[in-house]
Amino acid sequence: MLSFFLFSISRAWQGFWRNAAMSLAATATMTLMLLLLSSFWIVQAGFLASLSYVEDKVGVVADLDDNIRQSALTDLQARLAAMPEVRAVEYVSKEEALRRYREQRSAQGQDDLTPFLNDNPLPASLEVKLRRPADYRTVAEFLGAEPIVAKVQNIEDTTDRLVSLTNFLRTFGVLLLAVIGSIVLFIVINTIRLAVLGRAEEIEVMRLVGASDAFIRWPFVFEGALVGLLGAAISLGVLVGAAEPLSRFMVGFFSILPINVGSISRDVTILVLGSGLGLGVIGAWVSVRTYLIR
Amino acid sequence: MPRGNRAGGAMVDPRRPVLVLNDVTKTYPNGRDALKDVDLVVPEGDFVFLVGASGAGKSTLMKLLIRDELATQGTVTLDGDDLARLPRRKVPHVRRKIGIVFQDFKLLPTKTVRENIAFALEVTGTSRRRIKPAVNRVLALVGLTEQAEQYPKQLSGGEQQRTAIARALVHDPRIVIADEPTGNLDPLISWEILQLLLRINELGVTVLMATHDADIVTALRKRVVALEEGRVIRDEVGGGYHRAG
Repeated sequence: MLSFFLFSISRAWQGFWRNAAMSLAATATMTLMLLLLSSFWIVQAGFLASLSYVEDKVGVVADLDDNIRQSALTDLQARLAAMPEVRAVEYVSKEEALRRYREQRSAQGQDDLTPFLNDNPLPASLEVKLRRPADYRTVAEFLGAEPIVAKVQNIEDTTDRLVSLTNFLRTFGVLLLAVIGSIVLFIVINTIRLAVLGRAEEIEVMRLVGASDAFIRWPFVFEGALVGLLGAAISLGVLVGAAEPLSRFMVGFFSILPINVGSISRDVTILVLGSGLGLGVIGAWVSVRTYLIR
Repeated sequence: MPRGNRAGGAMVDPRRPVLVLNDVTKTYPNGRDALKDVDLVVPEGDFVFLVGASGAGKSTLMKLLIRDELATQGTVTLDGDDLARLPRRKVPHVRRKIGIVFQDFKLLPTKTVRENIAFALEVTGTSRRRIKPAVNRVLALVGLTEQAEQYPKQLSGGEQQRTAIARALVHDPRIVIADEPTGNLDPLISWEILQLLLRINELGVTVLMATHDADIVTALRKRVVALEEGRVIRDEVGGGYHRAG
């Protein structure tokens, strides 16, 4: 068993270098396809992060009656915080609301008219952050039924539109990635098929001298794995090389996004190594299979 | 060279058939009968010429023997194994009992003479320490010891065919099947190849050779099986290429 393994590995190595032109062409195709796949993956990850950044802005704002008891407020806050749909609850007092209004006016370059007011007309409010924007209605209805809530600000239409837009964009992104993935799959498998086709004579001779299927198949499968891993290594090298200048260029954009560079690089590494190895092995397996079934 | 010793040392029993075709018909999916009711018994140690025009069924017969194709009707038995009943995983073992030689040699251009021959043993799982002596033995048998480290394109046609014969022999086959082995060679070299096949036959290996070469067949007076339109029209010992008279 071990000697068969070593035999297959050494044959794979020999096969790779003795057909260097074909092997390197297959490796180059593999590299380019893996780069294409991983670039789309990275773009997709940034895209998803942008979507969740936008979605984070969706919340339910409930204006409160004036002069409510502190205990009623605390109680409502606690019940809200206990809801599974709710991510965070923030209490905005009347004074805070006025301060924010003034800030907003001055940011817009308009005069502050509030000194002309007798008292503060703005209500205190609860700003509820949601886990998923689609839960907007549940939380809004819950708040609307509360006695101390004066009014739930109605942003339902906007939220609905945002949710359907983000859902559409997510599905579109997944579909696009699936299409790119299939293209990569077919191109890589066809390239490996061509490389195997170029060695049809070798396979023919093996069959005629009485080599068993395993002895014919495994060297090619290992060779496919070699092409895949080599392609993956080169792709990762290119990505690492490109990461530094690219992130410096994009830093302004990315810094506002809830993007986790560590988890993305881990995912991309797994993606590139996994698809390289998988495509190489599958490509070689199905290509040799055509010659074995008689 | 004493008769009765196969290269591998096993005794040859001339009454024991190494190859039996019993009422074999091969119909291709397009409906054409490539072989029709063929009966053929080849005893161990025999030397048989298979003659016939192109399309007479020689190639189909060869394919049946190496189980590249299965007979539509009838049985093909090689060294006691009914090829139609053989499980797929046993096919390689039966092929190791056959040495195959082709008109176009089928040598691998990226391997030397020695590597081409050793390849047949490597891919059937023979241990390294048994490969080298076996390769040296057949190299000596076909007279290519000097050329062992050369690549096929550095060799003459005759030398390439001798390499292919060495590769066919390295497994110690019970039968060598040669499909027009002299088809690409000039007459003098063809005779050299024939001498080699006769010598191998003398060592006890059964030889079945398909050929178009009337001179060789007529001169050697061996057993001749003639095919025409898929049928055996003649099977005689000591016959010529054409029907006598």
